Amino acid sequence: MSPPVSPSVRTPLLLALVLALLIGLPPFLDLGLQNALVNVLIAGLFALAFNLLVGQAGLLSFGHAAYFGIGAFATLHLMRAVEDGLAFPTPLLPLAGAAAGLAVGAVAGFFATLRSGVYFALVTLAIAELFHSLAPHWEGLFGGEAGLSSMRMPWGGLIFGSTLEVYYLALGWVTLSVWLLWAYTRTPFGRLTLALRDNEQRVRFLGYDAHATKVIVFAISAMFSGVAGALQAISNETANYSLFSAHVSAGVVLNTFVGGSTVFFGPALGAAAFTLFDHLVSDLTRSWQLYQGLIFVLVMLFAPGGIGGIVQHHLRHRRQLDWSRLAGPYALAGLGGALVAAGMVFMIESLSVLFGEGYAVLRRDAGGGHPPFEAFGAQWDPAGPLTWGLPLALFLAGLFLIARARRDIAALWESVRSAPAGRPAGRGPEASARSAPSGSPS
Amino acid sequence: MEFAIISALNGVIYGLLLFMVSAGLTLIFGMMGVLNFAHASFYMLGAYVAYTLSSLVGFWAGLLVAPLVVGLVGLLVERYLLRRIHAFGHAHELLLTFGLALIFEELVKLFYGDFPVNYQMPDNLRFAAFTVFGTDYPFYRLFIGGVALAMFLVLYLLLSRTRIGIVVRAAERLPSMAEALGHNIPLVFMSVFGAGAALAGLGGAVAGAFFPTNPNMALELGVIVFVVVVVGGLGSLKGSLVASLLIGLFSSFAVGIDWSLASLFDLVGLGPWARSLGGLMTMTVSSISGTIPFVLMLVVLLVRPAGLMGERS
Repeated sequence: MSPPVSPSVRTPLLLALVLALLIGLPPFLDLGLQNALVNVLIAGLFALAFNLLVGQAGLLSFGHAAYFGIGAFATLHLMRAVEDGLAFPTPLLPLAGAAAGLAVGAVAGFFATLRSGVYFALVTLAIAELFHSLAPHWEGLFGGEAGLSSMRMPWGGLIFGSTLEVYYLALGWVTLSVWLLWAYTRTPFGRLTLALRDNEQRVRFLGYDAHATKVIVFAISAMFSGVAGALQAISNETANYSLFSAHVSAGVVLNTFVGGSTVFFGPALGAAAFTLFDHLVSDLTRSWQLYQGLIFVLVMLFAPGGIGGIVQHHLRHRRQLDWSRLAGPYALAGLGGALVAAGMVFMIESLSVLFGEGYAVLRRDAGGGHPPFEAFGAQWDPAGPLTWGLPLALFLAGLFLIARARRDIAALWESVRSAPAGRPAGRGPEASARSAPSGSPS
Repeated sequence: MEFAIISALNGVIYGLLLFMVSAGLTLIFGMMGVLNFAHASFYMLGAYVAYTLSSLVGFWAGLLVAPLVVGLVGLLVERYLLRRIHAFGHAHELLLTFGLALIFEELVKLFYGDFPVNYQMPDNLRFAAFTVFGTDYPFYRLFIGGVALAMFLVLYLLLSRTRIGIVVRAAERLPSMAEALGHNIPLVFMSVFGAGAALAGLGGAVAGAFFPTNPNMALELGVIVFVVVVVGGLGSLKGSLVASLLIGLFSSFAVGIDWSLASLFDLVGLGPWARSLGGLMTMTVSSISGTIPFVLMLVVLLVRPAGLMGERS
């Protein structure tokens, strides 16, 4: 495993730039994009909180929806109390989510961390399912099947009526939380968390209480997940038991590993990419989740470090890299990736049309035949050679280009790796597979 | 009495169905250490493939061919996907199967739509086996149970009485030693993965004709199957049979019981007080019947992580 954080000189500058964009840009965006950005912030914080447990402590949880949901419900209860006249400042509402996440996370974490590996994953899964199956029947706490709803109350001259106000509230909380999470990695306790991942036995031999440490890490991760859930509750003003569903837990796993769990900001990157893509393409295709699953599996197969891992790998070797020689093969691989993606998208969208309900109606109108269908602004014959030959040709051409480029890239990286410290060339197939970023998965 | 007998019958049959799916999962875990998140997807694929084939070549042919198709998918998954990333560790394999489960679900939605399909048993199987308390008991339920029992018998004899069984058990216990003795362990792994997938596919093909066949069936059953495998002991075939029956009976009895925590307090005269608290106190067992398996799983994981019949933890 590579070190989790890459303290680079340019990082603060880059972060300041991102923050400036996040502050300055939204007023000029339309409402839909503002909403999408709120979701990006929430998903990003959730993924970073999740990654504290997964990437840094090495504990793979499949039930983080539980703490996200708990944070949301706790916040809604507080919002309802505020509606009934409790004097509580609206901007501080996420504190309820944090407190509930911390409390529930401490209890759940105590039990879950009694086990490790696969068993830990199963306990977390069971806890989330426990909430998911209990919530629809628990009227008082989770509002039954309909869930809870409330209104954001004005406070101190702020109405909290517009999406923009909610956005800035979320931005404030996410910035604070991310800064705290980052600061956490710099503390001795943060280093202990990493040690737990890399060699738990040694941590115990050094005299630390491994179980207590894991419980604290779990609780902190759950606390920040609770903050993310709270922001979701504030933004949507409603929540029901579906927040506990396996799809929410799955979403954060996808975001985190596609973004890269070994890099601090990787998960946020993944969350931002997936959430924005979801916003952009959900109107265009019904198969977005299929693409998401495909991207995830491709990343797992060919770039286990995720997007963040690839970026970090290049940054670390930036002085040794000869970009004039790499640019060609990289462009070739990018083109190949684009062709493969185009072929896949074409195929999936065609199938989606052909097997969809709309086409069934068309067939009935045409008397049971196979009338041509429309996709990408053109008419296609379902039995025509072009309809299936074109995507297949795109796909195969892309694969060919990637294979070519990959050979060149692997050779170039081999020279980079062996050059500086005079290490023997070739560190096994894993290393070269890791370094060759095959086909941009998009 | 009527409730008890009908519930017991339904519980045993549901338990046997759970066993059909969990048998492969527990074998694969015991052998390769891979907890296969996509296993319940093989169950779903079995139902959908059998549905497609039954309209083309008839119900029985579909029932026979569907497990083979699903087993082939399993073989390919092991050979070309899982084996590739074996070097990155179990966590990565777990994540890969997790991604595959998502893809299978979405593919099914792509081809068959996001709603149940009309996969039905043939009419000549649609009769009552016997009548209890004036209710006809469908023969097909017994058929599901019979297939599961036959499968258990074949699997048990195969593993305990044949040469193949010895190699498979050796590969499970000490893979490197078995390999040193000249057995092709990667081939054994691939075959077991494929066989496990085929068993789940058979379960889906048989059960899909009776229970609804929809894109959620993998998710719904998948979590319960994890519970079964954990309670029975990861890697133990007998354990998963016992646990399947246990969970099956639990679920079918719980539906008809309207006790709540408050009725426990009634015994010591605190019932009204407990009812006034509401919340958890007044929830009836029937309304939280879906929760009970998870409570059971948590208790087993925390008290006896090796499961009822598992040897390792």
